[in-house]
Amino acid sequence: MSNSHIFLKSGFIRTPSQNGVGRYVCQLQRVVLKFCKNNGSSRGMREFVESELINFAKNNPGVVVYLKPRRHRAPVISAEFLNGDKQWVSCHNYSKQDISKWLNLLRTQSGNTTGFRLRKLQHTDHPSIQGPWTPYTFKDPAENLAEYPNTELSKPKIQLKTATDELLEIFNSVQISDKKGVE
Amino acid sequence: MSLYRQTLALTSRLLLKQALKTRITGETRNIKRWVAPTLNELYTRRLKVGPEPPQPRSTFLEWNYEAEVFAFGKRLGEDFDKNILKQALTHRSFVIAEEEKAKQKGVQFEELASNRSLIKESDKIVSDFLKEEFKEHPDDVAEALHDYLTSVDMLAHVASHMGLRDIILTSEFPVENSTLADTFKAVVAALKQSQDLARAQIFVKDFLISQLNGKDIFDIWNPEKPLEYLTNLLRQRGINEFEPRLCNQSAANTILANYQVGLYNNKKLLGIGWGESIQIAKETAALDAIQRLHYQK
Repeated sequence: MSNSHIFLKSGFIRTPSQNGVGRYVCQLQRVVLKFCKNNGSSRGMREFVESELINFAKNNPGVVVYLKPRRHRAPVISAEFLNGDKQWVSCHNYSKQDISKWLNLLRTQSGNTTGFRLRKLQHTDHPSIQGPWTPYTFKDPAENLAEYPNTELSKPKIQLKTATDELLEIFNSVQISDKKGVE
Repeated sequence: MSLYRQTLALTSRLLLKQALKTRITGETRNIKRWVAPTLNELYTRRLKVGPEPPQPRSTFLEWNYEAEVFAFGKRLGEDFDKNILKQALTHRSFVIAEEEKAKQKGVQFEELASNRSLIKESDKIVSDFLKEEFKEHPDDVAEALHDYLTSVDMLAHVASHMGLRDIILTSEFPVENSTLADTFKAVVAALKQSQDLARAQIFVKDFLISQLNGKDIFDIWNPEKPLEYLTNLLRQRGINEFEPRLCNQSAANTILANYQVGLYNNKKLLGIGWGESIQIAKETAALDAIQRLHYQK
């Protein structure tokens, strides 16, 4: 299954600026909640602002929250991250729980990951511990001083018993037992 | 009967006229023919003019400087003194620009503290701490690490990922790397003044030294002539000579040739390396030997 026909941007999973190695810094810088004070599509947003927004702001003092009431416009969350990414989430007809979940996602993201395909779900700086394989890793040192052409080294490495050999063995063992029987 | 025929003719003519009227004038409620071509033309003209120049975030309607500065401190998990932090974020160019503006308008100028003294103070704090942290490394390696971490690009990278780009007060836009680097240093000094030196050092460790994560020593430090460097290093430890031996080779006459060379002293392996030619392989082996000598106990 190949991904070459998919036009999404792709890359490896990464944290911006070694976040978490020293201390963890919430990557969400600021969030702007835009809504209409009257229209029905902003109802969930208005309910969220009335009930759960204060708790969100108290629990995340590092995130600046702006409210922008705009007449006759659909509700929207606009998020800005520390690495410069911007993300725009339309909240048309969302309930306050939906908005709360989206805000939580934005808070825990490290940037705008929409339209970005992760090639692998893990990342390591040290893909090999003992060192990657080289053609010399398991090379027999005896080959260093070998002179070519060399009959021993030119033989196939794995030689199984042929059918002829097996038959001869059986014949020989039968002959010996016959001889023993006779004696 | 003729009257009936006359009225029939009249009504049918009236109806016909009505139908003709709508068809001739075309006044119906739909999207007019000229709308799509006009919008397309406006779009192409907008593209031709080019993108809008970037604006500083502080010029947006949704901006609250006090809230941003407060959030900056909280985001990093540090307790800053508000006035000292604001001083750390104010660049000298901004102060000069404000003074000019005040003079032009004939308004009295209130003195703003700039971060010049904080930058100088912080240079010493950061340098001393880095030297302390890297004292177990050999001298030239420690110096290379110190120079790498205190370079303008590195400091600017760390500063912009902290969210300093939007809250710095400068006269220029977009904010230059040198300004970002200076402001990071000023913030370290501000932390030292708000709290104490220990917290400032932990701050430098968490944000600056953590940038070394996942990096190999030779990504940062490149000794000029590895074989000569190794010779001097060995002489210091009483080993006067070593010999390079070809361990393995493959594809010698092709562009993907590789040679594996080991450096030996009295049949003991000092370092092994491989490269496209024997000279390159010797140098890689020398680098490996240097790494083993410095860092293996």
